Amino acid sequence: MSRTIRFLANDRLIETESYGLVPSLDFIRKDLGLTGAKEGCREGDCGACSVLIGVRAADASSFSYRAHCSCVTSLAELDGRHLVTVEGLSAAGLPGSAGESVRLTPVMRAILEENGSQCGFCSPGFVIALTGLLLEGPPYTEERVLASIEGNLCRCTGYGAQKRAALRLARDFADLPADPFERLRLLVDAHVVPQSMLDFARGKALPVLKYSRDGDPPADPSAFNPTIGGGTDFLVRHPHPEREEFGEDYALLTREDALLRISLVEAEVGSPRLEIGAAVTWRDFFADPLVRRTIPSIASFEDLLASPLVRGQATIGGNIANASPVADITSMLIALGASVRLRGRGEGREVPLERLFLGYKKLDLREDTRREDTRREIIEAVLIPAAKPIEFFNFEKASKRGTLDIAAVNTAAVFETDRTEGGAIRITRARISAGGVAPVPLLLERTSSCLAGSSPGAQAAAEAADIAAAETTPIGDVRGSADYRRRVLRRLVIAHFVRLFPGSGAEEALL
Amino acid sequence: MSGIRESELNVSGSTLYIDDLPEPPGLLHAVIVPSPTARGVLRGLDARQATALDPSLRVLTAQDIPGGNELGEGSPNEPLLVSGEWSYAGQPLALVLASSPLLARRAASLVRVEYEKLRPVLDAREAAKSNDFFIPPRTMASGDVQAAIARCALVVEGRVDSGGQEHVYLETQAALAQAIEGGRIRIVSGTQSPSGVQATVARILGLPMNAVEIEAPRLGGAFGGKEEQGALWAALAALGAYLLRKPVKIVLERREDMRWSGKRHPYSTDYRIGLDAEGRILAFEADYYQNAGALCDLSPAILSRTLFHAAGAYHIPNVRVTGRSCRTNLPPFTAFRGFGAPQAFFVIESAIDAAARKGGWDPAELRRRNLVSEGDCFHYGQIASDCRAAKCFDRLVELCRWTELRAEIESHNASNTIEKRGAALIPICFGISFTKLVMNQGGALVHVYRDGSVSVSTGAVEMGQQVARKLQLIASRTLGVSEDLVRVECTRTSTVANTYPTAASTGSDINGMAVLAACEEIGGRLLALAARILGVDAGGLRIEGGAVVRGCEPSALDWKTLVDRAHLERIDLSAHGFYATPGLVYDTKAEHGSPFAYHVYGCAALSATVDVLRGSYRFDEAWIVHDSGECIDRAVDLGQIEGAFAQGLGWAALEELLFDDQGSLVSDTLSTYKLPNLRFMPRRTTVEILESANPRAVMRSKAVGEPPLLYGIAGYFAVLDALRAAVDGATSTASETAGLGYDLPMTPEKVLDFLEGRRPC
Repeated sequence: MSRTIRFLANDRLIETESYGLVPSLDFIRKDLGLTGAKEGCREGDCGACSVLIGVRAADASSFSYRAHCSCVTSLAELDGRHLVTVEGLSAAGLPGSAGESVRLTPVMRAILEENGSQCGFCSPGFVIALTGLLLEGPPYTEERVLASIEGNLCRCTGYGAQKRAALRLARDFADLPADPFERLRLLVDAHVVPQSMLDFARGKALPVLKYSRDGDPPADPSAFNPTIGGGTDFLVRHPHPEREEFGEDYALLTREDALLRISLVEAEVGSPRLEIGAAVTWRDFFADPLVRRTIPSIASFEDLLASPLVRGQATIGGNIANASPVADITSMLIALGASVRLRGRGEGREVPLERLFLGYKKLDLREDTRREDTRREIIEAVLIPAAKPIEFFNFEKASKRGTLDIAAVNTAAVFETDRTEGGAIRITRARISAGGVAPVPLLLERTSSCLAGSSPGAQAAAEAADIAAAETTPIGDVRGSADYRRRVLRRLVIAHFVRLFPGSGAEEALL
Repeated sequence: MSGIRESELNVSGSTLYIDDLPEPPGLLHAVIVPSPTARGVLRGLDARQATALDPSLRVLTAQDIPGGNELGEGSPNEPLLVSGEWSYAGQPLALVLASSPLLARRAASLVRVEYEKLRPVLDAREAAKSNDFFIPPRTMASGDVQAAIARCALVVEGRVDSGGQEHVYLETQAALAQAIEGGRIRIVSGTQSPSGVQATVARILGLPMNAVEIEAPRLGGAFGGKEEQGALWAALAALGAYLLRKPVKIVLERREDMRWSGKRHPYSTDYRIGLDAEGRILAFEADYYQNAGALCDLSPAILSRTLFHAAGAYHIPNVRVTGRSCRTNLPPFTAFRGFGAPQAFFVIESAIDAAARKGGWDPAELRRRNLVSEGDCFHYGQIASDCRAAKCFDRLVELCRWTELRAEIESHNASNTIEKRGAALIPICFGISFTKLVMNQGGALVHVYRDGSVSVSTGAVEMGQQVARKLQLIASRTLGVSEDLVRVECTRTSTVANTYPTAASTGSDINGMAVLAACEEIGGRLLALAARILGVDAGGLRIEGGAVVRGCEPSALDWKTLVDRAHLERIDLSAHGFYATPGLVYDTKAEHGSPFAYHVYGCAALSATVDVLRGSYRFDEAWIVHDSGECIDRAVDLGQIEGAFAQGLGWAALEELLFDDQGSLVSDTLSTYKLPNLRFMPRRTTVEILESANPRAVMRSKAVGEPPLLYGIAGYFAVLDALRAAVDGATSTASETAGLGYDLPMTPEKVLDFLEGRRPC
């Protein structure tokens, strides 16, 4: 069964029967002939292939445009959406120094004025990322502006010029309105983005686009092979999926509305829980008001994970399903006491997250052999206990480069506390996770349980660090030796105490 | 008009790199069958399974090469395609051609290689034990080191290691070859050395050079990685196109490029430094073991630059330095911005750091005391002239308020247990010219068209260093016309011949002078005509702002009229310019002479913070004072300084090249090999360019490409300084361990080793 993928590419309606799992970059460059997006690494690490992808609500009541790495975004993700490449932006610009042959938007001009394009190979990616920033709206704080381009690598400039260009744009566009439609209209008027974006956002003047699978969306993604989340890991592991023996049929969880929601679920027994749909992207997760209310400090760790280009595509469920021992979100979720709800067999079932991992890259996802077409369970949602806001949450990560890197070791911690009669703070319950120190992401059970009843300080931190080192079995690889991992884990465990209980003297546990 | 600023094409996504060019009909895509191990003997290739995939498939081997199977000129054991023994993992054994890259790669994976495995040598010192060198060990010396050491109050010796570095030009290696009529071949090649590629292809195909045309379009970065190494891919594409009479394209995927292509040389060095009681460096000795990899490539030339820069930015009266270019079974290491000088600088800076530590001197003061100054003789015999080392140093100390910075850091460290700060400052001195005399020449061809627009061709390849911008300005200023009238063409061997690579920071110096000469010639012809038209003496005339000017008065004669008139009068509106850098002399037997046209100086300081708890570090602020001539375009020079500094900082404190024990690269993707991103760089960087007329280069400018890379080395020492604040007193005393353990790049894992006393700092 072939499926037609329909989307708007700049101002052209595209319909294709191409295999939907191929990186959209290949389709954009080869089939559409739009070579502004470059292949720099083909694993979402450099941003040279960036494009904007617009999504709108079926009733056109809301929309968003975000910058993505097209090398780790599958073609099928474009279905029903608006792809805008650097060529599409350029067409909206004003004539350059040689007249009509080259048109330039204010973002392009800002980069030129700061001499931010040397060899030029990364330049379209920077243009896309900064245009994405303007589309997302103010406030353009310095921190946010710089974060918006930290997923774009440049080997020539040293980033000085890019930084100046970005801050210049932030100043020039500081007054953009908060209302997304109003903002988009102003950006169109300012020749930053093309009119087709406004038309798409308003759901008019263009053919009605609808996600379609020769009719209806799939009832049960578990019937398809492969079933993927955002695909940012899948396409790194399978950079040419068309060359492999996947079925013609695949499922993208991101196309299931039911899996895109975050909600607070009241339980009949026990506490309410946060339910995170498996296809929720990392950016949406960190931006969600319910998530922020439940775990107030969690958003401060977002910048430690991947890059903004990837965070808008990678999903919560995908991070789990990839079963990487150093998955950052998974590490956080384990400490938060999350469970996963699996769909596939009858009513489905729920498993504590840390028990889902059976071995290296091996998940406890069962196959349903009762049917003729073998179906495998899929991760449908993540459930996080949310009785009250979590006051003591921390995440630590050791990696070579501070941002845009994969962890050598990560760990997250949640502490529940009370006060002793003397008024001192006391840990009643702890959950500490660790990644990169075993074949699977771990809940450090002994470490966690030893902390119950202790007071947070050097002694507890040292004890926890020692037990953590003892209950893990790291191996060495390109990101760090086994010995380094064990030693850095000790330190990161101590860091949980230092960060969450300042003044407790926990740092003395190092000595 | 013709004046599209190239950068406008870049930012609008209109620049066409090789893989962006429209594909010619019948195009075949080529990939190699790589050698499976670091060393082995090829016994047979079985391509039956591969060719069975599709009738379009072709597999070419060494036997198919019509000319000489020699990649490097005069290097008989360095074949284009292996027929006997191979010497690194990823060396091409065969070329597979197919109608799509996907099919070609699938077929290549199906070619069965029968071979005998040999034990590889991966370590330079191990190769040195069996005297496996590309050239005999080379020594440069001045004074009498032995005698001087005997007079020293302090002598420190130790070992210094520095790792390799991957270029990560964002555009990978690529070539597109087309057979044209008459058995000739035309190649669009991602190379810094079009004439070098032309010579290689001619040799391999057995053709005269005039049957091979190379065009080097704008490259998506190169940094030295496409100086010698572009030739392999161009020659393979040419071989396919020549034999099959079809267009052939090769574009490497990132992982292929990282695994198979050359990088900056790793070095391991033993040094000895001696100082008198006042902290004057009297003697310096070093033995450099350069890991050259499997093929000669540019390793000997790189080694010579190491030796020339052994004393860094210091005057040392007694020097004896020996370099060994060691053959190993790693992919051939090659040119990378700095070309052996960064490795030398890291050694001398480590030696000074160790001496300061052991002797109890302030490292910055020790550096200041020993700076090279006017009239000093470098150990290779050149006299320092227009020396600006002290000027840059002193200005930097002012700019970063060094004394206050140190005090601030000390007080911060006294009251903080988890975050320790540190800072370091290093001066630089970099010699400009190719150290191989013959390479210091270049040509230019300038046409003025009838409408007044100007076309400039040279041997300079535009790869992001914005040499085209500089050439455009040189032409427009020399001709006296608007820069928008001047177009700089991409480099073609049929337009400008016998060029040398765009490298050694000399691109704008040499090619700019050639452009200047050609423009002056055309300008002279035009002025003679103008004098006739205006009925005045040509002596008082010049062209400025697009018009003929007499004294201070613009005449009515404008550029376009003049050009049109010249054509009607049958005056040649084209000229070829040529430049050979004067004054270069070097006796390689005596190792003595003046190999450089001039030196570039500068000084940088960097502050860093180490998180003692987590073993992580970040760079807080950088200050750079850079010696420059009169900038042809200040923004271009600033971009070069900032960009080179970032690469240097990446080399010093982030980028880690890791091979397994079989000689295969394991940090072979951008997810495992980390280069600086925006957040890695210091939060604030202040660059001050000290301009001053340089009589030895075009328009009184100075070359700028490579020297600023050296500033990044300060990053290593800034982290080390912070680490000392963290561990001093906790571990053994400084004097016991001074001189040990300098091992670049700094990494979080090493930082932890320092913090836990496993490495002395």
